[in-house]
Amino acid sequence: MTADASAHNISRIIQTICPFCGVGCGIGLRVEQEKITGVEPLASHPVSQGKLCAKGWSTAYAVDPIDRITTPLIRENGSFRPASWDEAYQVITEAFLAAAAEKGADAVGVIACARATNEDCYAAQKFARAVLGTNNIDHCARICHSPSVAGLRQTLGSGAMTNSIDDIEKADLIVIFGCDPTENHSVLGGRIIGAKMAGARLLVVDPRLTRLARMADLHLQLQLGTNIALINGLLQIIFANGWEATEFLSSRCENETALRAKVAEYPPERVAAITGVPEEKLIAAARMYAKAERALLTYGMGITQYTTGTNNVISISNLALVAGQIGREGTGINPLRGQNNVQGACDMGALPNVFPGYQEVAQQTNRDKFADHWQKKLPENKGLTSLGMTKGALSGEVRCMLIMGEDPVVTDPDQHHVQRALEALDLLVVIELVMTETAAMADVILPAAAFSEKAGTFTNCERRVQLIQPAIAAPGEAKPDWQILGELASRLGYHHMDWPNAEAIFNEIAALSPLYQGMSYPKLAENHGLQWPCNEQAPNGTPLLHRQQFSRGKGRLIPVSHADPAEVPDEAYPLFFTTTRLHYHYGCGSMTRKSPLLERETPSGILFINPADAQALAIKPQTKVRISSRRGEVETGAIITDEVPPGTVAMPYHFKEAPSNRLTNTAQDPVTKMPELKACAVRVTNLEVEHK
Amino acid sequence: MRAFLLDQIDRLRDHLAAQRSLFTPQFAAGSSELSWLPLSHNTPSAAIERPLLATYPAKQFFFPDREILFQFDGADFKETLPKPAPQILFGVRSCDLCAIAYQDQFFQQDPYYQARRKATLLVGIDCQLPCEGGFCPTVDAGPFVRDGMADLVCHQQGGRWLLISQTSEGEALLDGLNLKAAAEGSISQRSRQEPQVAAQFPSAAHIETGIQRINQTQVPAELWQAMGLQCLSCSGCTNLCPTCSCFTSYDRPVDNGFERERCWDSCLYDAFQREASGHNPSAAAGQRVERFWFHKFSDEYFKTFGRYGCTGCGRCEKTCPGVIGVHSVMKRISAIL
Repeated sequence: MTADASAHNISRIIQTICPFCGVGCGIGLRVEQEKITGVEPLASHPVSQGKLCAKGWSTAYAVDPIDRITTPLIRENGSFRPASWDEAYQVITEAFLAAAAEKGADAVGVIACARATNEDCYAAQKFARAVLGTNNIDHCARICHSPSVAGLRQTLGSGAMTNSIDDIEKADLIVIFGCDPTENHSVLGGRIIGAKMAGARLLVVDPRLTRLARMADLHLQLQLGTNIALINGLLQIIFANGWEATEFLSSRCENETALRAKVAEYPPERVAAITGVPEEKLIAAARMYAKAERALLTYGMGITQYTTGTNNVISISNLALVAGQIGREGTGINPLRGQNNVQGACDMGALPNVFPGYQEVAQQTNRDKFADHWQKKLPENKGLTSLGMTKGALSGEVRCMLIMGEDPVVTDPDQHHVQRALEALDLLVVIELVMTETAAMADVILPAAAFSEKAGTFTNCERRVQLIQPAIAAPGEAKPDWQILGELASRLGYHHMDWPNAEAIFNEIAALSPLYQGMSYPKLAENHGLQWPCNEQAPNGTPLLHRQQFSRGKGRLIPVSHADPAEVPDEAYPLFFTTTRLHYHYGCGSMTRKSPLLERETPSGILFINPADAQALAIKPQTKVRISSRRGEVETGAIITDEVPPGTVAMPYHFKEAPSNRLTNTAQDPVTKMPELKACAVRVTNLEVEHK
Repeated sequence: MRAFLLDQIDRLRDHLAAQRSLFTPQFAAGSSELSWLPLSHNTPSAAIERPLLATYPAKQFFFPDREILFQFDGADFKETLPKPAPQILFGVRSCDLCAIAYQDQFFQQDPYYQARRKATLLVGIDCQLPCEGGFCPTVDAGPFVRDGMADLVCHQQGGRWLLISQTSEGEALLDGLNLKAAAEGSISQRSRQEPQVAAQFPSAAHIETGIQRINQTQVPAELWQAMGLQCLSCSGCTNLCPTCSCFTSYDRPVDNGFERERCWDSCLYDAFQREASGHNPSAAAGQRVERFWFHKFSDEYFKTFGRYGCTGCGRCEKTCPGVIGVHSVMKRISAIL
C-alpha cells in the first residue's frame, strides 16, 4: 500500500557525512517521496557520537530543491538564459582556448572548492594541470589554513592536525588559541565542554571573551595581532624557569639555541606591554602548559588570518615542541579546519605548488611521475594563488577563470577589488548549486550536484577520509563537478578524465598519493573512514602523527619576531576591526541561509561593539552604524557586547547585505599570500546621530 | 481489553503489514542505528526484543519536521490537509506512546496532526529491561505500556508473547490470525511483573530531587546561567524530545505565489521569542534553558496534561553536544544546597 503524498512516509535513511565544517559528523539523511526531509544524528559515528550542531540539523534546507540551478545558464544581454550542456561547453572551450592561444596557458585558472569532494578537487587540479597546462589552481584554504600547511611543514614536516578528536578526552589541559570551536566546530567544541566537565582544565587565548573563555580556568585576552609576542613571552618564561622538556628537546628537536636567543628578547614586562596580558597571567599560563601531563593545543583563524600567519603557526609549533606537548596521546597541535573538506582539497593538491599528497610541483621527479600517469607533459611554471588570480585578472594577465562552488565576492578580502577583477575577465565560469554573488557575475553557470546527490569522500580535520553517499538524484541536469570537468576535458581533447564513477577517481588518488595509498571505498565503509597516512606500514590509518619522530625527522624550532598587523588604528580609523563567524551560518551563507530558522537567528545588525566604545559614540542596541575602512564602507546595526574588548569591533563575514569583506585588508602573509582578514583599522559612525 | 497468546512476534507484524503500511524501528544494513522505516522484506525483529529506542520517537509521523499548510497561487488559496492512507506504527515503546498521548492533547484542534493521527494504529511493546539512560518509571511513562495508550500491546512472557488489545480497532486487525485467548490471570501476572522490571532501572534520585527543586524554584539563577553557557542552540534536544511540539511557519515563494510551510522550532534558539521590535524576553541562554526544563518538569503542566512533559526516554542526554541533557542537568540541580 502506498500513502498519499501528503502523509509522512519515510522511505529510507542514507548514512553520510555532514556537509558543514571540518569536524565531519555522521548524519543520516531521511528521504521521503524522493525528497530529503530531515536528518538523523548517528550514535555510532566515532566523531559526532549522536550529536549535531544547528547547521547539521538544518541540512535538509541547505540542499532543498528550491532556488537550485538545474540547467546550464549563459549570460545574454545582462541576464541568464538556459542552455544545453553542449552549447555551454562550446562557449567555455572557445574562450579558454582563445585566451591560452593569445597569452599562454597561464592566462587561465581554476578555483576548486573546499566544500566539494576529494574526487571533485582531484579532478579540478588534474583539469588545470593536465588539460589547461597551468598550475593556476587554488581554493579557499588560501584564506583559512594555508599558513598551517606552510608553517607546520617547515617545523614538523606535515601541515595537518597531529592528533585526533578523540584525544580531547585524553588531555588534562586543553588550550584554545584564536578560535571558538563551540561556534564553528560545535560538536568538537561540545567535546571540549565535556572534557572540562570531566575535570580537564581550559586555557583560552583570544582577544574575544568567547563562550569557552567564559568557562576557562585562565583566559589570556591579548590585543589583536600579538600572538607571536605572547608565545615568545611564554617560551621566555618556560626557559627562564627550566620548565622546558629537556629530554624531548635534545632527542627530537633542533635549533634550540637560536630559539632561546630570540625569546630572551621577550621578558614578561615587554610582552605584557605589547599584548595587554598581565605578567602574572603569562606566568600562570606558561606553567600550566609546560607542566601539564598531557596538553592538547587547538587553534583556528585567530592564528592564521594575519600577515604573520605562517610565523604565528611556527610560534605555536615552537611552544608545543619546547614543552614536549606533541607526539603523545592527548597532546599535539591541532588546527581546526574550517570547511567540511578543506583538508581533503589540500590533500588533493588543489594548490598551486603541490600535486596530490603534497608532492612538490617544483621537483622534476614528481612532475615526471604525474606526467607519466596522466599521459601529458605538465607545466613547470609557478602557479598563482586565488588572490594572485584575482590580481592577474585585474592586470589582464589572467583572462578566463573557472570557479567551482566558492563565492569569493563574499568571502575574499576587499570586495570591490574582487568584483572589478571578475568583471575584467573574458570569461567567468561558475559551477554552483544556487545563484551566489559570484555566480551572478558569471558568463556561464554550470549546475552542480549537492553532497546529498553524489558519491565521494570528505576528509575531516583529523585526517579522517569518510565516504559520502547519494541519497537522492540531482535536480534537473545537475551533475557532480568531477563529471562536468571530465566532459570539459574531453571537449578539449583529453580523455584520461572520463571516469565511470567516483570510486575510480579515488583509486587513482590512492595510486598516486602515498598518504591515501592503503585506502579504498570498501575499507573506508568498514571503518567509519580512515585517518591518513594509511599505507602498508599503517593499514588501519594513523590517529597520532609524529609518535617516534617527526615527518621531517627532527622537529625544527624557528625563531620568529613580533610584527604589528599591516594596518593598525590611527586618528582617521581609530578602531581595530576583526572578522568572526556565527554558529548558525557557514561560509558565504549560500546553504545555511536557506533554512528559515537559521536565517531568523541572524541578528538584524551585525557589528559587535564593546559597551565602552558604544557609549563613546552614543550607540544603543540596534543603532544604525556605518563602518568605514580605507577599502570601503558597510552599514548595519550595532550589537553591544562585552564579547569584544574595548577598542576592537567585530563582524561575521557570512552576509552579503553587510559584507565585512568590503572593509578587510588584502595585505598578505609573504609566505602563503594569506590575507590579513583578522585585523584592520576602521571608523564607526553613528548614523542616527548624524541624521539628527 | 482482551489478551491472546502469540508464538512469534514476526507473525503478528507481517499479518499487520499485509493490511496497512507498517513502520517499525529497524537497523540500516550493517549499522547499529535504529530508525523508523517502512517494513522491508525479511527484516529480523531483533530490535523488538532488545530494550532499544529508535533515534527518533514516533512524533514525526503526526507532526512532521516540515509540512505545507496551504498554497496561494496569486488568486486562490488551496487547502493542503493531508489525506493519509491507513498506517500502523509497530513496536512503539511506552515512553513514546505516553508522548503521543501528550501531543494528542496539545494538537487536539490541529487538523493536520489529527488527520495523520486518526489514520494510524499503534502497536506498543512492553520493555522487559531498562534501556541506556532511560528512566520512564520515575515519570510514570513505562516500562510497560499504560492503559489506553496503544491499540495493541505486545508483552513477552517466557518464550511467548501476550498480545493485549486495548481498542476495538486494534482487535479487528487480528482477524485471520486465529489466536488463542490467553489464560485468565495473564494480564494480572503482567501487572505484577512491571515493578520487578522497574526495580532494575538505576537510581533516578537526581531526577526526583531535580523535579522537586524546579517546582520549588530552588535552582539559583547562576546555575541556569552556567548551564545556559553550555547550550549551543543546536536544537537537538527539542528535535528528539517526544513531547516537544513548538513550530514556526514561513512563506516560501513558488511560481506565481507562495506556500506556507510550518517546521519544527526550538525554544533554545536565541530568536525563538524575539519580537519584531528586537526586544527578547528570553535573551539570555540561561533563561531559555530554564524555560525548557520548566516545561518538562513543572507541576503547572502536569495539571493540564496529567503527566510531566518528560517521558524519561533520555534522548536529550545522548544528543546534547553541550552536556546539558536531562541527567547532566538534574544531577547538577540535585547537587546544589
